[in-house]
Amino acid sequence: MHLLRKVPIALTALLMLAPIIAVVLAPLHTPAPEWDFVRSALLPGHLIETARLVLVSALLAIVLGSSTAWLVTSARFPGRDLFRWALMLPLALPTYIGSITFAALLGPTGSLSRMLRSSTGIGIDILTPDGLAITFGLLLYPYVYLPARAVFSNGMSDLLEAARTLGASPARRARRVAFPMARPAIAGGALLVAMEALNDYGAVQYYGVHTLTAGLFKAWGGLYDTGSALRIAGILLLIVLVLAWGEERSRGRASRTSTSPPLRPARLHGWRALTASIWCTLVLGIAFVLPFGTLVIDTVQVAGTTVWSELTGPLLNTLKLAGGSALLTLLIALLFAFAQRNGQARLVKLTSIGYAVPGAVIAMGVMGLAGTFADRTQWILIGTVPLVMYAFAVRFLAMATNPLNAGLATQPRTLDDSARLLGASRIRTFLHINLPLLRPSLVAASAIVLIEVMKELPLTLILRPFGMDTLSTHVFYMARIEQWREAAPPALLIVLCSLLPVLLLERWLQPGRK
Amino acid sequence: MKAPLLLAAPLLLIACTAPEARETTPPAASAGEVNVYSHRHYDSDKILFARFTELTGIQVNLLSAGDDDLLARIEAEGANTPGDVLITADAGRLGSAKQRGLFQNVTSEVLNTNIPADRRDPDGAWFGFSMRARVFAYNKEKVKPEELRDYADITLPKFKGRVLARSSEHVYNQSLVASFIAHDGQAAAQQWCSGVVRNFARDPKGSDTDQMLAIAEGIGDVAIVNSYYAGKLLSSDDPAKAEARRLIAVAFPDNKGHGTHVNVSGGGVIQHAKNKANAIKLLEFLSSDEAQRVFAENNLEFPVKPGVPAAAILQGFGTFKADTLDLSLLSTNNAEAVKTLTAAGWR
Repeated sequence: MHLLRKVPIALTALLMLAPIIAVVLAPLHTPAPEWDFVRSALLPGHLIETARLVLVSALLAIVLGSSTAWLVTSARFPGRDLFRWALMLPLALPTYIGSITFAALLGPTGSLSRMLRSSTGIGIDILTPDGLAITFGLLLYPYVYLPARAVFSNGMSDLLEAARTLGASPARRARRVAFPMARPAIAGGALLVAMEALNDYGAVQYYGVHTLTAGLFKAWGGLYDTGSALRIAGILLLIVLVLAWGEERSRGRASRTSTSPPLRPARLHGWRALTASIWCTLVLGIAFVLPFGTLVIDTVQVAGTTVWSELTGPLLNTLKLAGGSALLTLLIALLFAFAQRNGQARLVKLTSIGYAVPGAVIAMGVMGLAGTFADRTQWILIGTVPLVMYAFAVRFLAMATNPLNAGLATQPRTLDDSARLLGASRIRTFLHINLPLLRPSLVAASAIVLIEVMKELPLTLILRPFGMDTLSTHVFYMARIEQWREAAPPALLIVLCSLLPVLLLERWLQPGRK
Repeated sequence: MKAPLLLAAPLLLIACTAPEARETTPPAASAGEVNVYSHRHYDSDKILFARFTELTGIQVNLLSAGDDDLLARIEAEGANTPGDVLITADAGRLGSAKQRGLFQNVTSEVLNTNIPADRRDPDGAWFGFSMRARVFAYNKEKVKPEELRDYADITLPKFKGRVLARSSEHVYNQSLVASFIAHDGQAAAQQWCSGVVRNFARDPKGSDTDQMLAIAEGIGDVAIVNSYYAGKLLSSDDPAKAEARRLIAVAFPDNKGHGTHVNVSGGGVIQHAKNKANAIKLLEFLSSDEAQRVFAENNLEFPVKPGVPAAAILQGFGTFKADTLDLSLLSTNNAEAVKTLTAAGWR
């Protein structure tokens, strides 16, 4: 019975890890003729630029995400009800679309830059390494905002109340209680930002930033040296493992199951209320309204020449792919949540590194496996939808397991123990006790995976079947031939499709629903 | 959520994926089909494939992705590949695909007649269909055309702080330098790269179009760009590009008598193609007068077939002598080009 439960879980975990293991092992049997050059001429510079990009974007995301999360949960001020959900909206903007839109506005020849230069003589140029870090911070801060808000609103009201009765000022309560307690959640979010910055290629190439992923593609496509590219992928994985280990340590010390009631926000007055409103307006305005507005304007400009019927196919494909992948990912994540709850955590935890691997690298691993599989069995998987969904599950599993584990962590163990004492099996306990309580986390997990899959590009591009275009591949074609305006309608559709899941996330975060 | 619902979920999953699973092997029309892997995704190609189906009854199934992606996919699929034709927009990738054994050699009287020998592989592994030239776009108020006769001219001291180019990560810069290495050796190429870097107006960033927009902003005066993007910009109706259209002219630089560097878009029949005859028919069609005119008019590329005129806007740039370098050398020298660019500090 014990084995019957553990073996399928271990096998599923291995299946999720297989493409990554394939990538890690590949350098052992792939020659790397240009490795000396890559190591001496590329790696040092690329490592430094990677470190800087990851650090600056994660820090900015932490500042923007946690400050706004604290404001909307702890205070009432004009616009707060709107900001609460609207601050998640940058999630709906794919990084490559967002960063290219920022470049079109604030790059050296951007429309806003030109206006500013002609009126004030000041030149701005966001197309720099630090400019990209700022862009990433702006587009990715919701990864910090979401978990921080969840913890602020639902995890600590009792302690904050105690601090208040002891006479601590709001600022002191935030500094001494709220932020230290939210640190694991913030660190977890920052880790996702770091992973996203590590695996990006489209924006990095456009901004001309030398990250490891850029080096990987230079080795692969420029030096024709797959071996060196795979070694760089290995280094990327190593960095992520170290980051994840650090995050895990910081989380471990602060674990706490909370049953405290939702936080009741305090009303702000005068300049405090004004400052809060202005700060949230600035963050939302720059990170979302600006790029979104640009997409809308561009769409209007090209609406007359856009063949809208050409977009219905990609739209339906995007929805189907996102729905199917979200379902598959969620089922696996549930299985793993069950495993973690019942003491089978080690292998399962490793599966979350898929998120850090550039999509193209996962695709290489997946194709290598599927190719070998086809040679042995004549069963052709490359170019089938199930394989694409499998690849998505490998890549986005972490996005689903994070909210599920966070949800489970708030359920006291005594719940499980009582059910078990009454004779329920582990599986029955999970299905009838843990799972119903987990519903809000399930909604959040499916929402976030839906959004991620709709935005995803490289995996879709490489693995999809003949004739199956999605919105993101459509954007890609237009962008690659530098027809930015023509890329706007499908890009806008991606954002609009992501709005519904974003609203679902808002329901999850509503105080008292968790 | 209840257990039965959970059990139903995988069924639901299968149900919603099943229709696509069938789409991977589309129903064959009476004349059969041909599966095309292409790095190109242009209206011109869509028009051409539709026209091919109209003429022959052969259904064209298209999968577009990045060129390295496609090479890797064909490699992973091996003998099971459904692909019949691979089309890329870079001779370097075509050469690399040949080296990796992804193409089979084709003998076709039609292809050999339509396409000049220096625009196709001598063994018939791949055939070029259209060309793009690496040209100079310049500010005609600040630069005289006679100052831009050769690629080496932009390394002269008078162009210090005035030269624009995209990053060295892009294949068109790599293949330009690969052609210099093939002609005059690595040292000469290195000297040219260093000279350009010395004269850069700013760090390389953005696209080819962005370099031309930067000229309009006065950031620099000469940009190394692809003729296709120059043509697109100069025929665009985007009001944001009006100033660039007013200011910019195009020059075809020579390379010490070798001519202007060109790269080709082309394709070949995949080694394990299941529809080889149809694949050859498609390649032959792409080399026909009718198809060559579509490449020229709809996509502003130079046709490879002698006698088919370039689009009017490109003809307006003037006449030029295209480099006739053996295109397979672009692939064998690409890694060296990347190293040379990196050594020169070309970001």
